[in-house]
Amino acid sequence: MVEALVQQLLDGLTVGMVYALLASGLSVIFGVMNVINFAHGELFGLGAYFALAVVSPLGGVGFYLALLVAPLIVGGIGVLIERFTVRPLYDRNPLYHILLTFGLVLIISDLVILVWGPEPTSLSRPEFITGTFDALGGSFSRYAVFMIVFGSIVTAGVWAVLNYTRYGLIVRAGAQDRRMVRNLGIDIDQYYSLVFGAGAALAAVAGIVIAGRGQVTPGLGSAFIIPAFVIVVLGGLGSFKGAVLGGIGVGVLQESVIKPDFPAIDGFTLVPALPQFDGMIIFILMIGVLVLRPRGLFGSEFNEESGQLLVGADRSLLTDRQRQFLGVGTVGLLALLPLASGSLLEPSTVEFLMIRILIWGLFALSLDFIMGYAGLVSLGHVLFWGLGSYTAGTVLTNATESVLVAAAVALAVGTAVAYVVGYLSIRVSGVYFAMITLGFAELYHNLVIDIDGWIQDGWLHTVLTAVPGVDSAMLVDFELTGGSEGLFGFSTFYGVGDIGVHLDGIAVYLGPVTLTDRLLLYYIILSVLVGSFFILRRILNAPFGAVLKGIRENETRVQFLGYDPTVYKRRAFVISGMFATLAGVLSALSNPFVSPGAAEWLKSGEVIIMVVLGGLGTLFGPLIGAFVFFGLEEIIQDGVVFDSLRGLLTLVGLSGVADTIPDFTRRWRLVLGTVFVLFVLFLPSGLVSVPAKLEPYLPDRFRPTRATPAEQPTARGDD
Amino acid sequence: MSGETGQYDRRTVLQAAGATGALGVAGLAGCIGSTDDDGGDGGGNGGADFDTVQLGILEPFTGDFAALAEERNNGETLAVDEINQSDEFDFEFETEEYDTQLSPEDGVQAAQSAIQDDGAGFITGAISSSVALSINEVAGNQEVVYTPGAADVSITGSNCNEYVFRFETNTAQIAEVMTQWMVDNLGDKIHYQIADYAYGDSVREEVDRRMQNLSDSYEEVGFTSSAQGATNFESVLTQIEDNVDAADALVVGATGGHLIRFLAQAAGRDLGNQIPIVTTTGSFSVVRGGAGTAGYNGEIYSGTRYVPGIETGDNRAFVEAYQNEYDSAPDNFSRVGYESVYTIATGIQEAGSRDPTVVRETLSGLSRETIFGEVTFRECDQQATNPVWMAQNVAPDQGEVADVELLTKLEGEEAIPACDAVGCGL
Repeated sequence: MVEALVQQLLDGLTVGMVYALLASGLSVIFGVMNVINFAHGELFGLGAYFALAVVSPLGGVGFYLALLVAPLIVGGIGVLIERFTVRPLYDRNPLYHILLTFGLVLIISDLVILVWGPEPTSLSRPEFITGTFDALGGSFSRYAVFMIVFGSIVTAGVWAVLNYTRYGLIVRAGAQDRRMVRNLGIDIDQYYSLVFGAGAALAAVAGIVIAGRGQVTPGLGSAFIIPAFVIVVLGGLGSFKGAVLGGIGVGVLQESVIKPDFPAIDGFTLVPALPQFDGMIIFILMIGVLVLRPRGLFGSEFNEESGQLLVGADRSLLTDRQRQFLGVGTVGLLALLPLASGSLLEPSTVEFLMIRILIWGLFALSLDFIMGYAGLVSLGHVLFWGLGSYTAGTVLTNATESVLVAAAVALAVGTAVAYVVGYLSIRVSGVYFAMITLGFAELYHNLVIDIDGWIQDGWLHTVLTAVPGVDSAMLVDFELTGGSEGLFGFSTFYGVGDIGVHLDGIAVYLGPVTLTDRLLLYYIILSVLVGSFFILRRILNAPFGAVLKGIRENETRVQFLGYDPTVYKRRAFVISGMFATLAGVLSALSNPFVSPGAAEWLKSGEVIIMVVLGGLGTLFGPLIGAFVFFGLEEIIQDGVVFDSLRGLLTLVGLSGVADTIPDFTRRWRLVLGTVFVLFVLFLPSGLVSVPAKLEPYLPDRFRPTRATPAEQPTARGDD
Repeated sequence: MSGETGQYDRRTVLQAAGATGALGVAGLAGCIGSTDDDGGDGGGNGGADFDTVQLGILEPFTGDFAALAEERNNGETLAVDEINQSDEFDFEFETEEYDTQLSPEDGVQAAQSAIQDDGAGFITGAISSSVALSINEVAGNQEVVYTPGAADVSITGSNCNEYVFRFETNTAQIAEVMTQWMVDNLGDKIHYQIADYAYGDSVREEVDRRMQNLSDSYEEVGFTSSAQGATNFESVLTQIEDNVDAADALVVGATGGHLIRFLAQAAGRDLGNQIPIVTTTGSFSVVRGGAGTAGYNGEIYSGTRYVPGIETGDNRAFVEAYQNEYDSAPDNFSRVGYESVYTIATGIQEAGSRDPTVVRETLSGLSRETIFGEVTFRECDQQATNPVWMAQNVAPDQGEVADVELLTKLEGEEAIPACDAVGCGL
């Protein structure tokens, strides 16, 4: 019995220790520098790869050396990253760090593949920490004990530095109140590089420790980054104690208590179905803590500096009339595109790429409504995309093939969920809001994968069979979401009852051009997008929109004027959720399948990128962002750019140089990531700010005649 | 849920369009019509120009399966080169590669790009089951022949359609050899450790059903599962260890990185010396390479789809050609890529046409000589009747990567489930 308990505790502590190492670095970086570092997971992976480079030639003993060398190298890389990419962004909202570090994730992960190849490898360990040892009447893994002991030493060391050195004192003070530290005459900026480097080194240590137990593979870090963020938030941003206790607590809870269904004494378990909620517990815990303690368990009560949110078009080069003209022109052009399909354009460009861009444009538009106008950064917007897709998919598969019915049901569900999530989330702010929405999205992602299993033979099966009239056989083959595969092969009918059409059953003949199936779908999606655009614009031009913008600019002042910002934010969240749900519905209609990827958090990240790329707080910015995002991806993958560059170099006699340009078509993420990083550094207000940036260089006659900027409202929308 | 290939397929529409256009129903005023009012079968892809055939290669070149995609792609490239140089085939393949990444959306876009933009009537590829299933749909709707690489039973089962031919050995076939061998050699008290997604679930389902048929005393003495992306197995290992006395074998339903991580941590607890570990993919070279010494710590067995050392069909020639080209031995994914391309080529050659519909009709039920000897694509599900093996991972003569020792072979006809049990309505 004792050995079983010890074993269970060891299981939890090994994981807890890794979480603690990873989360403490992340937390200190955030606390001191206000940087949401998504690349932390990649630094973790880099640690493992540099360790591999040290261990491979030296064998198992090299492992000890690697524990010292690899974190130093990664720490050095961390310092460089801070100096050259993070530093220019300090005055800005943490949102920009999401875009920046997202770009870094793409860059680092592709560089790892370029250098070390895509195959997984193993990291050999010294004999001493391999195999098992006997104690307390049982046999235990040596490496597990090593992980705990080593992790504890490192953690204790960091704690000592933070508590007993002048450096630590300043860092802690900085985590609590940067401005005060500055006012005391300390140049805290000088400490940032070191903090970032130290955080990266801690991540590397965690990476090596994990790699020693499993494997070294690209994407190692991505499995840990979300739990690490959750723990940071649980513990309270910037709190080292919170991160360590949170990490160990979550590890022990997850591995020692929930998974083994502890206490597993015969006939009695804590909650019988608890292990079935395995992947969700951590998010439920985070949401629960944030609802009760909006700043996490050990978070400081100081106000965070949110930094400046750079809204896209505060000065416009174009007059309203010109804008109107441009808008109508763009829609007209979009409407003409299908006519060129198959002749000027490749068929899949309109039928797939453009459809995708339009749907993502709507998704980005919905996010911008709360992010750009109400200042709420949601990392969980994919929840609504997933809800839209899955509800539509489920209705189309199980109930009716009427698209209208499916869309109506999905919108109703999306709106209801948006209200509940909004109600619980709006009370927390800033990064905590981003994380609580992420928590809901991750819960939903787990739900769509698990719910069929629950119904077929899990706890829901037990519950449902207790209902009179429901018998077990009805539930065994029940498919609501299709589990980890998803739902396939539903057909769509545009109408209700007998009145309507199957898109693939009709054709519109326009002279030599015939519009069928997906080209017709393109028009439907385009009209939904244009319609949504006008509805959102109308809302923003109404007093409601003015209050929202007021909240973004200065929430306290809006409160003084007698408006309740919480109510306005919640309403905005519900509206935004509805439109995001609509985008999800369209996505289910455009691919006749729905898979769990529809609810993956990565989509939330991508849509934020599109909004920032295009320009926050303008309605057409997100649309441009979606277009550029997918357009870039397509162009880089196509290889046209690099092929032509190579061709050009060969033409001018530099074939040697041409040969050194690697084949980027498979490493398109690297190029895309680099574009994001350069973008956030040099064009922070988004693509919509390009015309204004160009203005000084224009000849006088092209300059618009209008009032001086000072007389313009400070944050204009696109209206 | 077979593919919707009803009367409204795209090709008919385009033909209708062509016909209407030719009749000169011009003018800017559009008119709306039904698409099934044209019965003619236009040129399609059949007929005269038989010299070149466009083949779309769709693989997850970026993302977690990139390494496997490379292997498959090597096999495909080798096959295309051989076919293009051979006199046996009256045509040449022109290929284009597309990145499906890891999502069904990207997979579908890649497939559409191949079919619509580049005119591919034949497509091959994909490793993850959800991507393969989504391309299945596209292939059925667009009427192009598709040879997928994923092992999910439903691809040629409940989600099958008449344009999909699979040379990859599926989980049901592997489960057949595993269960027969386990009952004969290890016993019938099983603990299952399952990766909690479609693949793991199907392993448990297939093994469980067969064990029930094979042995009256069969018993599932324990069950544990871990999320698909799980990185930590300590607590499930503790639960498995509690069961080592009661169970005769541990069946692990997992693949790729999940299996590697499990084996590495199991070795840390010396699990393989406490209970035989029976896996479905432990003989894959990518798994053995990733697991290192953990790949042969104790008794680790694997249902096996392919190893380069087998002496069947023209495998030896394939292995030699592959080694000459890439300086390494082929693995399961390379041979699937290789034979998937040959399957398409044989179909085209036998049909004497590059019209996918004609080729599809020819391939269904066709037997051909492969690296496994003679293999048939059964008419009822178009799954290849590949033989399967049971194997053990053993310590290598040198290095740290396990060797594979074949223990027993089950012939293709015996391994494949009966037609009425696969749930495909062909």
